Amino acid sequence: MKRTLAYLSLLFILGVLLYVANPNYGLKFGPGGKEWLSLRYTDNYYITHGLQEVGGANIVTDIVFDYRGYDTIGEATVLFTAIAGAVALLRPWRRDER
Amino acid sequence: MNCVGDDMGVIVRTAARATIPLIGIFGAYIVAHGHLTPGGGFQGGATIAGAGILFLLAFGLKEMKRHFNKNLYSALEGIGGLAFLGAAMLGIGVAFFYNTLWHNGPFLNGKPGTLLSAGYLPIMNLAVGLKVFTGLVSAMAGLALYRRWRE
Repeated sequence: MKRTLAYLSLLFILGVLLYVANPNYGLKFGPGGKEWLSLRYTDNYYITHGLQEVGGANIVTDIVFDYRGYDTIGEATVLFTAIAGAVALLRPWRRDER
Repeated sequence: MNCVGDDMGVIVRTAARATIPLIGIFGAYIVAHGHLTPGGGFQGGATIAGAGILFLLAFGLKEMKRHFNKNLYSALEGIGGLAFLGAAMLGIGVAFFYNTLWHNGPFLNGKPGTLLSAGYLPIMNLAVGLKVFTGLVSAMAGLALYRRWRE
């Protein structure tokens, strides 16, 4: 009984998600089509200009290392700090060496 | 024969000995082709660090202690970060993070899509890959080496 109810509720959730995620008559998550091009022009700019401005064939690497370089510096600093902190906390302490 | 939980036995050790070089080569490929194909420094570095963690798991802590040099890995991580910043400083005449090697540099400015192209992107990919690899292996070795609980 419980199992049947669980499967039925899963099926119901799947149906609701299929209805909601359909772009024709469901909810709209942000603009699409022509409206998208007029609002999200930076995406289009990266796709058309990234190859000649940065030179990498992989547009994601172009964005990560050139257009959004400061973000990558922060990310590397966060990784460095996290690992320095982990090693500093985990090393044998003076109290443990006795 | 030590069979008290240090390494994971003959089967796993043999399989690891066969697969660790392949994982390392694949990670190096991801790092080196970061500006051409999907992937990059972070992803390739994490892949190579997976090979290091597989070594630690398969061969045990005693073997890892013999091969892992804490000071060398710390220095390599610092060098990776500094190389990343230095590559960003190359075009400081125009702006921070200006890709001067690609626009008017002496090298690394080939046709887009070839290996020696894209200015500082390969340098940065190598630096970040080195940094991520050494950092993750250091964190894992620190977790394994400096544990507090008793056996």
